[in-house]
Amino acid sequence: MAEKTHAASGGLIRYLVVRFLLIFPTIFILVTLVFFLMRVTGDPITASQGGRLPPDELAQRIHTAGYDQPIIVQYAQYLGQLLRGDFGTTYSDHQPITTVLTTYGTATLELAVYALVVAFIVGIPLGMLAAFIRDRWGDAVLRVLAILFYATPIFFSGLLLKLVFSIWLHVLPVAGRASTTVELKMQELSNPTGIYFIDALRTGDPAALPDVLQHAILPAVTLGLLTAGIFLRLVRTNVIGTLNTGYIDAARSRGVGEYRLVTRHAFRPALIPIITVIGLQIAMLLGGAVLTETTFEWNGLGYQLNHYLQARDFVAVQGIVALLAVIVAVVNFIVDIIAALIDPRVRY
Amino acid sequence: MTSFTKRRAGLIALAATAVAGSLVLAGCSGSSPSTGSTGGATITLGTTDSIVALDPAGSYDNGSFAVQTQVFGFLFDTPYNSPDVKPSLAESGSFINPTTFEVKLKPNLTFANGDPLNAASVKFTFDRQQAIGASGADGGNGPSSLLANLDKTTVVDDTTVDFHLKVANDQTFEQVLSSPVGPIVDQKVFSPTALTTDDAIVAANAFEGQYTIKSYKVNQLVDYVKNAGYVGVLPPAANAEVVVKYYKNSSNLKLDVESGNIDAAYRSLSAQDIADLKTATDKVTVTTGPGGEIRYLVFNFKTQPFGTGTSTPDPAKALAVRQAVADVINRQALSDLYKGTYTPLYSYVPNGLTGANTALKSLYGDGNGGPSLDKAKAVLTAAGITSPVALDITYNSDHYGPQSGDEYGLLKSQLEASGLFTVNLNGVENVTFSKQAPNDGYPLFQRGWFPDYSDADNYLAPFFPQGGFLHNHYDNPAVDKLISQETGETDAAKRAAEIGQIQDLVAKDLDTIPLLQGAQVIVTGKSVTGAVLDASFKFRYATLTK
Amino acid sequence: MTAVPAKPRGTWLAKVPVLRELRQSVGVQRFMLLVGVIITLVYILVALLAPVIAPYRFNQLQDASGTFPGSAAPSATHLWGTTIAGYDVLSRTLYASQTALMAIVAAVIISLIIGVLLGLFSGYFGGPLDRILVVVCDAIYAFPSLLLAIVISIMLSRGQSSLWSGIMAAALSISVVYVPQYFRVVRSEVVRIKAEAYVESAKVIGAGNGRVLFVHVLRNSVRTLPLIITLNAVDAFETLAGLGFLGLGIEPSSAAEWGYDLQKAVSDVTAGIWWTALFPGLAIVLLALGISLLGEGLNDLADPRLRRRSAEANEAALELEA
Repeated sequence: MAEKTHAASGGLIRYLVVRFLLIFPTIFILVTLVFFLMRVTGDPITASQGGRLPPDELAQRIHTAGYDQPIIVQYAQYLGQLLRGDFGTTYSDHQPITTVLTTYGTATLELAVYALVVAFIVGIPLGMLAAFIRDRWGDAVLRVLAILFYATPIFFSGLLLKLVFSIWLHVLPVAGRASTTVELKMQELSNPTGIYFIDALRTGDPAALPDVLQHAILPAVTLGLLTAGIFLRLVRTNVIGTLNTGYIDAARSRGVGEYRLVTRHAFRPALIPIITVIGLQIAMLLGGAVLTETTFEWNGLGYQLNHYLQARDFVAVQGIVALLAVIVAVVNFIVDIIAALIDPRVRY
Repeated sequence: MTSFTKRRAGLIALAATAVAGSLVLAGCSGSSPSTGSTGGATITLGTTDSIVALDPAGSYDNGSFAVQTQVFGFLFDTPYNSPDVKPSLAESGSFINPTTFEVKLKPNLTFANGDPLNAASVKFTFDRQQAIGASGADGGNGPSSLLANLDKTTVVDDTTVDFHLKVANDQTFEQVLSSPVGPIVDQKVFSPTALTTDDAIVAANAFEGQYTIKSYKVNQLVDYVKNAGYVGVLPPAANAEVVVKYYKNSSNLKLDVESGNIDAAYRSLSAQDIADLKTATDKVTVTTGPGGEIRYLVFNFKTQPFGTGTSTPDPAKALAVRQAVADVINRQALSDLYKGTYTPLYSYVPNGLTGANTALKSLYGDGNGGPSLDKAKAVLTAAGITSPVALDITYNSDHYGPQSGDEYGLLKSQLEASGLFTVNLNGVENVTFSKQAPNDGYPLFQRGWFPDYSDADNYLAPFFPQGGFLHNHYDNPAVDKLISQETGETDAAKRAAEIGQIQDLVAKDLDTIPLLQGAQVIVTGKSVTGAVLDASFKFRYATLTK
Repeated sequence: MTAVPAKPRGTWLAKVPVLRELRQSVGVQRFMLLVGVIITLVYILVALLAPVIAPYRFNQLQDASGTFPGSAAPSATHLWGTTIAGYDVLSRTLYASQTALMAIVAAVIISLIIGVLLGLFSGYFGGPLDRILVVVCDAIYAFPSLLLAIVISIMLSRGQSSLWSGIMAAALSISVVYVPQYFRVVRSEVVRIKAEAYVESAKVIGAGNGRVLFVHVLRNSVRTLPLIITLNAVDAFETLAGLGFLGLGIEPSSAAEWGYDLQKAVSDVTAGIWWTALFPGLAIVLLALGISLLGEGLNDLADPRLRRRSAEANEAALELEA
């Protein structure tokens, strides 16, 4: 739909390059922020041994480890390590940070994908329905529902869902990503991917995949509804917005039915802002994952992050935040490309 | 290291075997392990522990030690239902002169991978602990400080090792060999100067405990299989395979054990969870055992009301304040808050260990363990304190369990209800707390302790002598002297008496006020039997059968 | 409910923000806005009157008749039961609205002031500073706010969970996330308006830079701000609750807080003790619902595409009046 001139496409490439280069300062700023924030909150040795060792012994160990050096010296060392490609080994469980990110990152990725699926399935049809019946009572109910979806804290909605489906009805497992036996089988695969959907298939056990999916339902719904509420609201607003434009009026005058107007004509242009928001939602999904993963023992980045934070595991927290920053930056970059391709006015 | 050297600096008497103590704790039960046929079923156990490192040189925490206990062997180890250590990989061990402890190994020992376990392995193990601790290669996380009294280790012949101690006749040395610093490691697998990764250890099968690890994913799932070659003091594992699943959220652990998804849950369920599971007798069995964990309230002698560093220093008034607090505290109510998973503690050495007494019971409160307002009033009036005393109490909000806030809220309520105190209560997160507490940060504060090994000395020596763990400016030379004596006392009865005297002396000074003693708890499914929780404070998977 | 056409009233009333919108709205939109306003007002009242209406103090564990029982079911003496420690659930739930409102006020004030000012200056003066600010704001947007809240709470209070430090931790960390949002909105509005003719003309007639900025830009961007403010408010108290839920919240004897109580209640729920979790949880959801309805209602009216025709007519009439 965009009219492209030669000048515009040249501008597009320039825009994309600038946009891509901006990813690096973004990550740099976040990593620096985390570095300093973590350092002022204490050190890992005090966190793990402060309840056990006498103060002078503790001080001795902190000195040997170099945590008492000026923070700027530590920062220079850290940057030096990063430049050498050495991301370090976690302090509190002695894992290379790359292992931590691949092990737990895949789990979070899997959860985020499931949650997005839930969000799409619930949010988009309901949003269109709300736009279709706008300003009627059904619309009001859907809008309140949307607010409840995104305004109910995850730790409360997760608790309620667990209470109903696991404790009262006994239809879904309480927590975890798979049953112990299935998990053991997957663990014994050579080179497990960490994405249980794939690993379950690779075990060759027909019961494995249903087991894995069953475990995913509650966490995916808990996290997905959060985003579904936002999608619902967004789809509704944008579909109503496009319904009011001349383009739709024209279609309407051609005799296109109201249902078809909403699902076809109004929905497609309304998708642009939705795509943009998905980019922002990734950050929110990852943030929400901290609480979802803790509630449901989902062994992902969020689940570990809180643990590492309490242990003042600088290396782990820096690594995880840097990864989150990269994901968010890259997703936003892709979203911006799509938005720029669709609507040339977005470009600088 | 200095403080540990100091606290062992006064050992005088000749060594003998570790204290023999019969451990009795009200309400504890421990069925004897079945040593018969090996059950075929795999046992799944859940825990909220977390593993720092499989390598014994890289960890000094309960979660890692729980794993090491299963898969590594010790020269000396604690048999079931006993706090005593007995030779395990060792055949015997004794002082051949006051500063040399000689250990003879059992013949032809091997690791599960076939590597020989000989005197060189033992020397390698302890040299490595010391080297890694000194260089900081453990990231400051290792247990090397437990070896503060070890000068060097020498090989006499293939099965004989000499430990040369800095200070003569250390009574606790055998216990140290059974502690987190003691697991013997394979010199062909472990690095002498750096930590060895979990995966490398598992891949090399460098184990010699009751189990070996078949498959390992740190803090997620560990699969143990019985080690047929185990020759230590414990009987071989009664089950063939144990899978341990790691949780973060204790309520999920509780739900899983209740619904039978896992066979057992060990450490840590909340008080509410345990109380509820006790009522679900058709589904699970709750077994409790003596607990080595204690909780107490510390006074900083400098900054407490009328302390030496305040504007109105007055030792007599300061003591009166401590005594009045001790009079007013209702430990039973605190224990009720924990639904009985913690029991009242009236002395410094927990009930069950040899030499423990109840020194504070008769000295404070109603004389029977309950509070006494009149007594508190009398103490304060006698010292000339008439207006309510302002107390600043700080607790650690995330290290000593999720109920610390409730516990100290109740304590505040008890103190204020007396009308004698006003309390300003603060919860502080662990790292800040650990930095501030020993550096005069808080006038009154919470502390807890989990022993390195089950000996009364581990509840006295780290605390009361100068330069100890608490750093609260308490100084009583008589106590220091008695601790030195006790640690080297060869006569068991005499040693127990000295341990009793130390408690009586400190109870008069009220360096700290002991509050609660935690019980060990394991919850098992109905089909699981054989759980043993004893005063070794080590939980072995090997006794469970299904 | 039927749409009642708004009667014209005095002009000053028509200018009170929320009231004006209420008058403009009709039908379902008015109903939702009204519900939002009522819920929010009820919470404000409860917060102000908590010491009067709550049966006990939030940190009270005993009264004249003795120590409160732990985990007691709802009864005449404790209408919503007690927690495991013996706190009265009703009293704590009511008192916690004070804590939540303090967090909201602190967070909104901090983020609004910083975000709007930064947006104004950055957009108006432009240049390298503007570009740097845009990049920094984009970067911060990606930062998980809960993580930030945890770190700030540790830094700010040296780990001490007093009322003030708990509130400020939530407020500051939410501000870090929301400042970029206010910044974006205001900045883009400034950039747009800067080019427009009437600002130029205002300059020509001698209005100072500051006046031009404030009057014109704020008047024009005020339409999008209410929604952000309400989102900001909801996130502020939910972050406080999230902190409480992660065990980093406010110490129970210094203030009542829903998230903290909810976390303590998790093991109650699995033991069949429902009252300790239900009430604080519902309190959070209801307040979030109220504020969100308020925000969406205002947004509906501010966005011409979403406004109903009759409402538009109303506003046109109002504008004529004014």
